[in-house]
Amino acid sequence: MLATILKSVVRQIRRHPLYVGLNVFGLALGIGVFLTLALLVRYEYGFNAGLPDGDRLARVDAHWTLPGVAPGEYASSSFHALPFMLQDFPEIEAAVRLRGTGLRVVRDGAFVALDSYQTDPSFFRVFGLKLLHGVADRALAQPDGLVLSDRAAIRLFGTTDVMGRVVPLNRGGVTVNHVVTGVLASRTTPDFLSGVELLAPIPSSELGFSCFVSWGSDCGSVYLKLRRPGDIAALNARMRDFVIRHAAGADNDANAIGQHPEKVFGLSLMPLREARFRDFHVLYADDGVDRAVIDGIGLMGVLALALACANAVNLATARAGLRAREVAIRKTLGAARRVLFVQFMGEAMLLAACAGVLGLVLCEMLVPALASLTGEALAVRYGLVGGLLPLIVIVCGFASGVYPAMVLSGYRPAAVLAATRMPSGGRGAARLRDGLVAGQFGIAVTIVICMLVINHQTAFMRSADPGYTRAGLLIGSAMPGGDLAAQRRLLDALRTVPGVAAASFGELAPSPDNKTRSTYRYDGPAGPVRVHLLQDTVSTRYFDVYRPRLLAGRWFDAARGQDDLPLPAEQASHTVSAILNRVAVSRFGFASPDAAIGKGLDTDGLHARIIGVIDDVRFESPRQAIYPEIMFFDTLAKRPLMEPIPAVRFEGVVPSEMARRLNRAWVGVLPDAAGEFSAVDVKMAAYYTGDERRGRIFTLGAAAALLIACLGLYGLAAFAAARRMHEVGIRKTLGATGRQVVVLLLADFLRPVALACVLACPVAWMLMRRWLAGFDERIALTPAHFLIAVAGAFAIAILTVLGQTFHLARAEPARALRAE
Amino acid sequence: MLIDLSHIQRLYRSDEVETTALLDIELGIESGEFVAIMGPSGCGKSTLLNILGTIDRPTGGSYQFGGQELTALGEAALAAFRRENLGYVFQSFNLIDELTIEENIELALIYRRMPRAERRERVAHAMDHVGIAHRARHYPSQLSGGQQQRAAIARAIVGAPRLILADEPTGNLDTENGAQVMDILQRLNDEGATIVMVTHSPSHADLAKRRVDMLDGQIVISVRNAI
Ligand SMILES: Nc1ncnc2c1ncn2[C@@H]1O[C@H](COP(=O)(O)OP(=O)(O)OP(=O)(O)O)[C@@H](O)[C@H]1O
Ligand SMILES: [Mg+2]
Repeated sequence: MLATILKSVVRQIRRHPLYVGLNVFGLALGIGVFLTLALLVRYEYGFNAGLPDGDRLARVDAHWTLPGVAPGEYASSSFHALPFMLQDFPEIEAAVRLRGTGLRVVRDGAFVALDSYQTDPSFFRVFGLKLLHGVADRALAQPDGLVLSDRAAIRLFGTTDVMGRVVPLNRGGVTVNHVVTGVLASRTTPDFLSGVELLAPIPSSELGFSCFVSWGSDCGSVYLKLRRPGDIAALNARMRDFVIRHAAGADNDANAIGQHPEKVFGLSLMPLREARFRDFHVLYADDGVDRAVIDGIGLMGVLALALACANAVNLATARAGLRAREVAIRKTLGAARRVLFVQFMGEAMLLAACAGVLGLVLCEMLVPALASLTGEALAVRYGLVGGLLPLIVIVCGFASGVYPAMVLSGYRPAAVLAATRMPSGGRGAARLRDGLVAGQFGIAVTIVICMLVINHQTAFMRSADPGYTRAGLLIGSAMPGGDLAAQRRLLDALRTVPGVAAASFGELAPSPDNKTRSTYRYDGPAGPVRVHLLQDTVSTRYFDVYRPRLLAGRWFDAARGQDDLPLPAEQASHTVSAILNRVAVSRFGFASPDAAIGKGLDTDGLHARIIGVIDDVRFESPRQAIYPEIMFFDTLAKRPLMEPIPAVRFEGVVPSEMARRLNRAWVGVLPDAAGEFSAVDVKMAAYYTGDERRGRIFTLGAAAALLIACLGLYGLAAFAAARRMHEVGIRKTLGATGRQVVVLLLADFLRPVALACVLACPVAWMLMRRWLAGFDERIALTPAHFLIAVAGAFAIAILTVLGQTFHLARAEPARALRAE
Repeated sequence: MLIDLSHIQRLYRSDEVETTALLDIELGIESGEFVAIMGPSGCGKSTLLNILGTIDRPTGGSYQFGGQELTALGEAALAAFRRENLGYVFQSFNLIDELTIEENIELALIYRRMPRAERRERVAHAMDHVGIAHRARHYPSQLSGGQQQRAAIARAIVGAPRLILADEPTGNLDTENGAQVMDILQRLNDEGATIVMVTHSPSHADLAKRRVDMLDGQIVISVRNAI
């Protein structure tokens, strides 16, 4: 049997190389794309799953319900809560604080920025990460200890054998020598700690920071290892009581939340196994991914495979027609239906197996491309592939073989031999073929529309008006501490750098690290309105640097003494000038920006008067809603700013050269603190890259889907060209012109494509409306997206069948009638 | 003179061999004639008919139809010519499998600008004429050979063409069906249609008004039948 099948396949390859080639190549493409995307989806679903005892690990999340802003879950929570948890919850086996820091390694007088964290010695007990060198229990026990990842060790020293080496660490302008006490082993499975390059103990000097002592402040995350997996849910159920018990504090405790803390504040445990997708809706969580998008990518893989299968079915039924006469003659000579069925099935399986091998090769080629496209550490994992591939081959082989095998083995020889020409498998088969083409193009057009919308949105995010002028703007790193003299000197130095048009300080900047927020009260005609406001203090010339849009009132004026923020001690007796953003104005309920001017706002020991309103300024992710904001003014005459961020508007110099000059000026003033100037786009890049990468995956998927669909259409057109030659001859004899024949054939070929577009548009519309809803700043879904995709699909479809159509329409009738 | 062929020549050139299907054909046919073409297999009968039907082009000579030189016309003009003047009955029926009998017949009118109602009426009339009205909604594969041939004739006459070309219209039929087809053709001829028919049957050829014998791509004899 096998020999018969092989012989038959070889003969078919020789007789119909086009059909067989299209069949195998299309299937291989589908299999390759499917395997590649399956690996990507598995990567996302397996995130954090490689951590030992991952089902017992959880992060403590904070929930804030603050006046005037939507309630939110935050991936960071106060370290102050941890001792109470350890005391109340015996289910906690181990706990660790983890705090991202701006630690820099000093190498040969320059700074090397590493992805660095401060943490507790219990880090290894909680996460169970393996050390290449060093002892887990002691690695972070000594205050000057330091753990490097193997890659960081190689980057710094060229080797992983670095135990005991001295590493000078700079933080906030102060350099302290640390000794390497451990080197992390690299892991193959992805988790949220994959990017960690440096771990250092939390210095005792920082334990007085507010996030260590106050309930309302946070600067990092707390991770717990529970004794049993079920403990996560059990503790979650008890968190409300826990907050009520501990967070209220005594009456005058400024570090507590106050009466009824549960009304504004909550705590919950986020299981790390689930964090990858749930973090998409958690604020301050970096690794969150939209599960719908990942599922969409997975679906795209499945659809690519389905498309390819549909192709195989199509081409196989088409080819079956070509073999009808052979089958009929075999049957007349006595072949049993079962034998024929087995033979055709075997052929389909054999071709599917060839496609599977080719698909694997394709996957091997695609995965590295996808890895560099997504920035994720993707690799071909043969555990997964080895399990999937045989299954795919069997499914595809069966799917593409069963219908033709049934049709072919079921042909009644008399009918076939009596027919004037090769049968097409009847009307049923023709409808099946059209339906499959419609399905293929429907899927392809849907993916193309999604791809267009996603890429449009990502491009829009980068180019959308952020409320200030991005071009010609460079942002520095935060200047450590609150040294007034140093701040004045740095600003003066920056202002004298050639090319600088204006320089200023703000406590906030694009992609801010530190944010101060508090609740302000407006005593309006309808009673007090409270809004939780993000607070920024800016220095002179800030307006010239960022160029925000003033909607009402005026900007701060250094010449007016009352605009300048007074010293904290004098604040109670002053009215402070403040500027609000547009969102804040509407949250307080003012009818218009103008209506807000002159109104008073109050917060703890501070009375402010609104002097101006600016349009919303976007410093953070376009997915996030703009936070209501209040701005104060500090001329640096009496009081310093807290960790101010310098910003510079420049002219006539290329940005890279400007940044170099500014960095040099910084070192001249503050040799111990690294300052790095970069463009807004660079600062904000992290907000866009995820969506851009996924946009690229969709582009890839759309191309693959279109290619597969076109392969199918091409095969069908070629088949129809052979089959309809005769019909065209008859039509021409009856007086049809070449043009009429072209129109007829094109209409026939394109009918399923048109149907596909009709089906695809509403589906894509629904999908994309949901996706876009995840963005605060988003494009409108216009008919243009759909029209472009539909026009593109038609153009490609026409190009695909045009050659065959013309070939057919040009045929001389006499010859066409003879061709059989 | 309706048809005037002079020095018609048809060569088939493939890579190595050159076949002469028609060699210097001289033939005139008056309007209202019924011509039977006879000759051994491969002598060029179908080729001649194809050239008369303008679905094949001669490699030399001139073909005038109603005084108009057809060899000079382009593709579109020839299509229009066929549409307006010709009915064609093939040896192997050449019905389209995917269309019903009715639709197959209508095909001959579809390329003319004609209102749908008139088309329907003419189709019905043509089907009555050949006696297959009861098979209108069947597909060709559901019909016997004789019925298919009659459907093909209905298609050829539905447009009321001036010239009907029939290539062995009785070749695949039994005596009875053959006689029926000949009957239809004679009736059409009586109604004024000019008919050129290829046949291998001397008795059927005798029913025509004129008989043309061919051999090796040439006309050897042309005789008028006594009526
Ligand atoms: N496309 C072609 N290429 C080469 N030779 C051809 C072609 N078509 C016809 N011929 C040759 O031209 C000659 C005449 O063919 P034609 O079909 O006209 O014969 P016929 O008289 O109709 O025969 P029959 O009675 O068998 O139908 C034959 O020798 C045939 O082989
Ligand atoms: Mg012939």
